[in-house]
Amino acid sequence: MGENMKPSTVKIKKMPSRFKHQVPKYKITRSDDCINCGTCAKTCPYGVHERPEGHNRVNPPINYKCIGFECQSKEFCCLTQCPRQALSLSLNPMYETLGDYRWTADMITGTWIMAETGYPPERTDLEYNVGNSGGGFDKLRFKFPANPPKVDKAEISTAIELNRRNDGRAPVVISTPVYGGGMSFGSVSLPTMVSKAHNAAIWNTFTCTGEGGYPEILMPYDDHVITQVATGLFGVREETIQRVKIIEFKYAQGAKPGLGGHLLGEKNTESVAKMREAVKGASLFSPFPFHSVYSIEDHKKHIDWIKEMNPIALVSVKVSTPNDVDMVAVGSYYAGAHIIHIDGGYGGTGAAPDIAKKNIAMPIEYAITKVHNFLKAEGARDAVTLIASGGIRTAHDLVKAICLGADGAVIGTAELVSLECVRCGNCESGRGCSRGIASTDSELADLFTEEWATQRLTNMYHAWNYQLVEILQKFGMKSVKELVGRTDLLEHIDYSK
Amino acid sequence: MPKKYHIYPKVTPLEMEYLYKFKITRGENCINCGKCTKVCIYEAHKRRKDDPRKMADPNTVVCRNCFRCIQECPRGALEKSLHQDYVNISGFYWKADMFLTLWKQAEDGKVPVTGAGYRGPFTGAGFDSMWTDMSEIVRPTRDGIHGREYISTGVELGRKHNHLAFDTEGRLLTQPHPTVDIPIPILFDIPPVELSPNVMLALIKAASEISTCVILPAADIKPELKTYIANIIPFITESEIDKYADILKNARLVAIDYTDALPDKLAAIKERIKNISNAVTIIRVPAISGIEGIVSKLVNSGAEAIHIVADYRGQEINKDKEANFKPRLLKDIIRSIHLKLVEERIRDEITLIFSGGMAMAEHVPKSMLCGGDLTAIDIPLLIALGARLYEEPEKLLLLPDGLEKIPVDIITQRMVNLMCAWHSQILEMMGAMGIREARRLRGETGRAIFFEEIDQETFGKLFK
Repeated sequence: MGENMKPSTVKIKKMPSRFKHQVPKYKITRSDDCINCGTCAKTCPYGVHERPEGHNRVNPPINYKCIGFECQSKEFCCLTQCPRQALSLSLNPMYETLGDYRWTADMITGTWIMAETGYPPERTDLEYNVGNSGGGFDKLRFKFPANPPKVDKAEISTAIELNRRNDGRAPVVISTPVYGGGMSFGSVSLPTMVSKAHNAAIWNTFTCTGEGGYPEILMPYDDHVITQVATGLFGVREETIQRVKIIEFKYAQGAKPGLGGHLLGEKNTESVAKMREAVKGASLFSPFPFHSVYSIEDHKKHIDWIKEMNPIALVSVKVSTPNDVDMVAVGSYYAGAHIIHIDGGYGGTGAAPDIAKKNIAMPIEYAITKVHNFLKAEGARDAVTLIASGGIRTAHDLVKAICLGADGAVIGTAELVSLECVRCGNCESGRGCSRGIASTDSELADLFTEEWATQRLTNMYHAWNYQLVEILQKFGMKSVKELVGRTDLLEHIDYSK
Repeated sequence: MPKKYHIYPKVTPLEMEYLYKFKITRGENCINCGKCTKVCIYEAHKRRKDDPRKMADPNTVVCRNCFRCIQECPRGALEKSLHQDYVNISGFYWKADMFLTLWKQAEDGKVPVTGAGYRGPFTGAGFDSMWTDMSEIVRPTRDGIHGREYISTGVELGRKHNHLAFDTEGRLLTQPHPTVDIPIPILFDIPPVELSPNVMLALIKAASEISTCVILPAADIKPELKTYIANIIPFITESEIDKYADILKNARLVAIDYTDALPDKLAAIKERIKNISNAVTIIRVPAISGIEGIVSKLVNSGAEAIHIVADYRGQEINKDKEANFKPRLLKDIIRSIHLKLVEERIRDEITLIFSGGMAMAEHVPKSMLCGGDLTAIDIPLLIALGARLYEEPEKLLLLPDGLEKIPVDIITQRMVNLMCAWHSQILEMMGAMGIREARRLRGETGRAIFFEEIDQETFGKLFK
């Protein structure tokens, strides 16, 4: 593999699943004709069939290790090698219970493989780049030129600047055009939060605290942490504002635009309450909207307040995607924001009303185009960084978002899937996440180590960066910055001829 | 400010089995080690009571699809699949997940909240092809969700004046028409199947409790139900006015079946009703092709309220049994009727009620944004009680066995719970839009985002 200019801190290491079994795509059925001869165990190189030493029966097939129908062209395939034709292969009904239209089972499986190996899957039977939603990113494809300029992978840069205002504030550059979304202390477990920050440091990019305070355990990663000021102002102190390079105002969240947050009393444990400077056990409401902001002028006052407190930090403004998102973006630019972060309606959340997730505000694909074009028309596009989030699931989504006009993206769900989230959606119910990712339950929050999680994230970021570099090479580009707004490099299944 | 409107939920389980999404089976190679019991936080796996050395069959009802038992079983002995019932009940319009969420809302009255982002298709047919807007930074309303500011879901039924008239002295000549206020933009429609007496009574009591009305054929309004007449809309044909005079007498609203001859006779019919009752008249029309013309004619004939009824999947009705009929969807029918009346400058004079395929809370504000004043629902109220609906090979609505023995209070509360959850969800959408009065939703297409428009405007332009 040709090395590109990724940070020297990035080290790829295989980091297998913490579970004994993976979710199988295929199912091998062994009929009564089996004579336990053990031929299948000898022939299968993937370890689907086993006959342990001294046993005279073959174990039931380990389905998840099977590579499926593509194996049938190989001479070692168990189906053809079995002398009694006792084996058959089918799709596993279990696979249908994994994933959904947006995050298909193939996409989840593919992301797991990336987090394990650091590279995109070698298997050819997984459609892991595109989902099954039937719209937006899932209808866009790349148009690669036949004879692109020759570019060596080592020459390709994936870095972007986040401060484009030339205002004397910190010249922040991230090495890959992706950073981690805000997930608050309390909404995810501590190993999740710390590994996100650690990985951000390894990749020379950022992660975000979400609304819920700045745990001291994140201090080693201060230069890679964005601290969030949201409507409840929970955990916001002068000291936390001064500690970081980027401060993010969260006006709204794509998954629940126009609605406030609500931390249930039982989740407001002693440590959470301390962090949020609230009373333990009380339900905490984050109102909507900021009760101090009803106009762009008020908004400017907000930004000035932060800039006064921290004279070098950049200010990011996170908004969701209403009809007038373009106006809001231009207003934020004039108010002094460095980063306009738009969060689309199909984005992730630890808890949101289903009715909001499905129906309120537009998908990110439209909003990027709208905002990019409006900022361009206003002559402001080169002076702000446009970051897209809310439905960026794969490296292909990232590239498509940049082609539509974003400079980079924020991801959340993809990070959690790397930590083996199955998107069951029970982050907030009962004891919380049964897989230990989004739970503060004493038993569940201890299901994996920070080391394991950090490496899984680093691997996944690497796989994305690897895909990004490959795509840039196919376009003959030396920098991801050349890609911004290049809709001519995309085609749409319905409209393009 | 009007008195705050509240619906009071109460957790009310119905002791019967309903749909399950998943099925877990334990293979013969299970070694009864109990690992699944340890890892499942939902307690799907337990040991047998009669023989604790063995594992019991998995309790699939509680499964939340976390995959831990599947992935951690040392023998790989557990298998999971979609439950056959779940797969079978999903139709072209009524999806399995709708049944599950309505059933749950009827139990606890809460807004369905989950973690992780949206899971469904990017867009779909009808109401699924629109998003609602929200207000950011610059917004008129503050915080209606947590109750610091009042969002009203109330609507008025009745005719309105287009303008006021004054005499030469400047004195007001216009007399306001009678109207009926309903605090939630939802009526209960005529039940689509025959109901046992307890369910019928519960339906009326639920309507009464949330201060709305239920439309019932006059013949079904038994004497003992007459005490609830303020919350019942008797449905009659024009020839039955005198026959049901006793029922109409105290009704606030009356529904009359549409016939082609009706517009010409409308003035006379209204006069006949007026002699008996003060009820406001609703004309019930099927959503057939040419409905725009029918509605316009009715408005011009002095109609007070018109109820347009699509089929149970929100589709146009094929009145003439045309072959190759391509039904329009309710979303488009509403927009088309609304626009026609706007163009004719008569939209403000009439109240339009739409029904057919109202399956989820979001359909209520969406139909209003398209141009309706309010909606009527039927099937969700029965799903709250465990009804199942199959679309193929033909429509089949099944009520659960034993429903006739369930106490009225329980059935009533489940319907109330469902409406409580819907009301809260309507508030969520209105709060996000910054709209404080449901009446303002009507025809506010500027606060909606239509897929066909935005997709064409974005991708259609870029990739032509």
